[in-house]
Amino acid sequence: MISRFRYRLLHRLQLRESWVIFFIMGIIMLNFPFLNIFNKSDAILGIPLLFLYFTVGWAISIFVIYLFTLAIRQSPDTHNGTKEP
Amino acid sequence: MNNGFASAALISLIYTLLIFLIAWYAHHRKVTGRSIVGNPYIYSLSIAVYCTSWTFYGSVGRAATTGIDFLMIYVGPSLTAFTWFFILRRMVQISKENNITSIADFISLRYGKSLWLGALVTLIAILGIMPYIALQIKAVSTSFYLISGFQGDSFRIPHGSSELTVPSGFILALILSIFSVIFGARRLVSSERHEGLIAAVAFESLIKLVSLLGVGIFITYQLFDGFSDIFTRFQTLNPEKFRQLFTLGASSGSPGAIPPFTMLFLSMGAVMLLPRQFHVMVIENSDERHITKAMWMFPVYLFLINLFVMPIALGGILTTGSSAGADFFVISVPLATGHSGIAMLAFLGGLSAAAGMVIVESVAISTMLLNHIFMPVIVRFTPQAWFPLLLINLKRLGIFLVIFLGYFYYRIVGDSFMLVNMGMISFSAAAQFLPAMLGALYWRRGNRAGAITGILLGFLTWFYTLLIPSFSNSGWISKELLTDGPFGMQLLRPSAMFGLNGMDLWSHSLFWSMLFNISGYLICSILLRQDESEREQVRKFIGAYELERRQHHHTEVKRLSKPVTISQFVSLMTKFIGETEAHRAIESYRGNRDLDADGNVSEFELPNLKRFTEKSLAGSVGAAAAGAIVDSFLSDMGSRMESVYDIFSTVRTSLDQSRESLFVRLKASEIINRTLDLQIIMDDLLTLLLKEFKLDAAIIQLTDEDGTCSVKSYQGSNRHPITDRHWYMESRPYCEAALATCKAQFINDTGLAPAASLERTIAEGFISCAHIPIMREGEPSLGVMSVFSKSISGLFTEEFISLLSSLTGQFAQAVTIVHEIEAREHERVQKEQALLKNARVMRDMEIAQQIQISFLPESPPELFGIEMGGRCMSAAHVGGDYYDFFRRDEQTVDLLIADVSGHSVGAALVMSEVRTLLRAQVSSSHNTSSILQSLNSQLYDDLTRAELFITMFYAKYNATTGRLSYANAGHNHPLIFRNGQSPCIELDAEGLILGVKRSVVFEERSVELLKGDVVLFYTDGLTEATSPDGDMFENGRVCSQLGRVSHLQVHEIIDSFYRAVTEFTGSTTLQDDISIVVLKIL
Repeated sequence: MISRFRYRLLHRLQLRESWVIFFIMGIIMLNFPFLNIFNKSDAILGIPLLFLYFTVGWAISIFVIYLFTLAIRQSPDTHNGTKEP
Repeated sequence: MNNGFASAALISLIYTLLIFLIAWYAHHRKVTGRSIVGNPYIYSLSIAVYCTSWTFYGSVGRAATTGIDFLMIYVGPSLTAFTWFFILRRMVQISKENNITSIADFISLRYGKSLWLGALVTLIAILGIMPYIALQIKAVSTSFYLISGFQGDSFRIPHGSSELTVPSGFILALILSIFSVIFGARRLVSSERHEGLIAAVAFESLIKLVSLLGVGIFITYQLFDGFSDIFTRFQTLNPEKFRQLFTLGASSGSPGAIPPFTMLFLSMGAVMLLPRQFHVMVIENSDERHITKAMWMFPVYLFLINLFVMPIALGGILTTGSSAGADFFVISVPLATGHSGIAMLAFLGGLSAAAGMVIVESVAISTMLLNHIFMPVIVRFTPQAWFPLLLINLKRLGIFLVIFLGYFYYRIVGDSFMLVNMGMISFSAAAQFLPAMLGALYWRRGNRAGAITGILLGFLTWFYTLLIPSFSNSGWISKELLTDGPFGMQLLRPSAMFGLNGMDLWSHSLFWSMLFNISGYLICSILLRQDESEREQVRKFIGAYELERRQHHHTEVKRLSKPVTISQFVSLMTKFIGETEAHRAIESYRGNRDLDADGNVSEFELPNLKRFTEKSLAGSVGAAAAGAIVDSFLSDMGSRMESVYDIFSTVRTSLDQSRESLFVRLKASEIINRTLDLQIIMDDLLTLLLKEFKLDAAIIQLTDEDGTCSVKSYQGSNRHPITDRHWYMESRPYCEAALATCKAQFINDTGLAPAASLERTIAEGFISCAHIPIMREGEPSLGVMSVFSKSISGLFTEEFISLLSSLTGQFAQAVTIVHEIEAREHERVQKEQALLKNARVMRDMEIAQQIQISFLPESPPELFGIEMGGRCMSAAHVGGDYYDFFRRDEQTVDLLIADVSGHSVGAALVMSEVRTLLRAQVSSSHNTSSILQSLNSQLYDDLTRAELFITMFYAKYNATTGRLSYANAGHNHPLIFRNGQSPCIELDAEGLILGVKRSVVFEERSVELLKGDVVLFYTDGLTEATSPDGDMFENGRVCSQLGRVSHLQVHEIIDSFYRAVTEFTGSTTLQDDISIVVLKIL
């Protein structure tokens, strides 16, 4: 079940559209309508909200890129296997 | 000079030596072929040259003054990493294929190798990077003062009686310049990757990460009690400042504030477009697969290096009490708390951050400077021996120029800007490349005029709205320019163009420069046309590029399946420069290289070997020819024309031959290799001969399959349609002689030819001719090539004839190959058709079988006192078995079983006819013999025509009398099993097979059936079923089997027979159709 989900997820991530969607999503998340939500001087557990938003969001985005690179490795055809037989 | 100064200087020195050591080691490893740089980790670290002392000092300063928006500079590149798989990968591929050396090279190449564009990009890079270099110098010299406790900003060196005052920034710039020269400009090979440089940069990236993390952990966990402790303390101490730092837009009123979006946009562009970023990411990329890893490792690096910036900034404010001098908290906080070791670590990190950036940047830009500013001038002069020396020194000069421009900018602008804001000026400059760059990769229409216009407009706007105002505090320009605009024109104020008030300098400049840049690019690209050289580049960069790539990929796979070996190169070279020379050359090449034992050449090694081979050949055949030879040799490796190269084996022995003949051979092999279309090959080949040897007519005849020779190609003058009266027909005997003897026939003076044979030819003005057989060595000739000259008698010397023969030899090879391919194609088509036909037949058979099965009765009629059943099992597809029941009335039923000879659609069709006829018969005639008789006479004609026969047994059972009357047309005798009688009763009656004679009289017999009798009707498939030993099933077995199962129900009896047969034959597939009908008297 999990491996199936993993396979399907990675398969979806191979689509060029997925990349574009995530890229645009990133840009949206970093602009005002979204930033405004977290643009408050509150703190959660002593950590300022905006700082938390950036740190966690950033970490998540890096993880997403990591997933993408896994997906590339999975598919032999989009993978740049031009150098190797 | 105090103690702090000495230790700081010493540590810097040791660190410098370490860096050199690493660079040297990396270079050494590369030379020995075991590169340490070629892996994704080093690649990711080298991209981290993005983090300069801006990150190291500036981020903290910015975090302490304007707050969290400093993160935008790093989140942007992290976001850009999403696109690397497409954009960066393509950039790397293009760069590798075109041997691109810099971003200026990349952009100018895409727009038709424009010199102006290259120069413009270079100029922008130099001016744009000024503030950035200044930033590094400022950061390092300030940190040096801090760490050494050194006061003042210059060293005083005793110089005779007076003292020479040297500013420390100057010394720093000098050191950095020398450093960069050593790393990047020792030798003059710009396309080659600088492994030492990259190793050093990667190491420095590691140092600055470790150092900043170290300082961060020290402040966060040593001085304070973790993240939340710093944040909470700060909040309680200064809630207003807390709010300002942790919300965006709160500090928008302050002079240095830049909106997050501007920073995001600029940083996203800068990470790809700054010359040094382009250099490490694209030029220094050793394998495009590394990009995939770097896509997440580089963001992780950015994430880690920024994790502690905010705590350091807040901790600094808490420790020092204010945000003054926040740019250097990293050093000043540990110093203030008495931890000079940590401070030294921080200094080292800052030093490496700055040094790495300055070195890569200056090397990258000096390469651009050399290639795009100096080179175009230099190539106009005749080359001199000292040119290489001049070039390398120009490159070194470039490095000094770049760094010292930065230094002077620092001197002028000085302390009026915070580090980050200085850096943003450079980012804005780099952003000017963005439209042209994206257009280069994705927009076909984008042209040179558009790119130049866009970049130039963007650059001018940047220069006017950002660079000039940055000087405002230095007094270089009058304040009035900023406040009142040039010549008092308010509308043109650099900081509020066209009255656009209320924006910060950077957003304002970004808006106008991008507006002019993009619109200039778009408008010119749409209005103006691309010229041919641009269009060619567009094909390379976009669209077709993908296609080519794929094809390229295929050939590579093909080549890998048949690797090129050193010995193949040796044999190629042997043909041109002789065996000993070839071996000597290859030994010298092999010498310091690590080749595998079988002499297989790796993909990486191939380009080198190719270049080497070309060089070696160039000595004897000239550079152009050498290139052509090696290229076509490689492209034909493992392909159809490989053996053609044996033709060249004659070349070596006749090197004294003229260059032209060699050229003709090469051209000819090119023509022959180019296509599989013989007509094109022949036409081109003859045209080549005519042109190169001043011949006047040339004709190729080829022998057809039926042995006749006909003209296939005819080039040159005197071209009348070929008829029997044509002058060429006079040469027929010579051609035939050439064909038959396989030797060239030539007449060097037609006037002296034997008696009156060539009258018309002479009349046409030809004075010499030759007929050369088209053949491969040791094989019969395929045709004749004839050449005629009007101008030179005695043209056909032995050498010339042998040259022509070798050409026809090459051509014969091509003809043979084409014929082979055609034959194979023909065979393939035939096979395909046969298969198709077969499939069609199979399908017909299947349909026929369906029809046939539908003819058989689904279930027998029910009659009181008897039980009946029947079944047919077909062997192959269509069988000829048939059985049927007709119920006449309550007591009478007709049974029949028949077998049409053969298994074909015809048999099935006949069967259907039988069925139709029978249905009609049954209602009219009442006795079995007359039914068969009339059936025979009706079927006779059809059966004779189809050469088919039918055996049939027809029976009629009357339940009231219990009599079974029957007639037989040569069918197997049905058997009756009666309790108590051991052999079965065979039902036999006189009668001929249907379809043998037109009128036959059938005997009708009858037998009385008793209660318990079982009658078995069957076709010959049952008795003739053969066991693996060759025994037949036979009547005896049938009878005993019948006895064993007679007590069962009818369908069980039938089942048991099929089981018995499969058991007997030992196979589940039947050899012949078997039909069984059983009648049981209850």
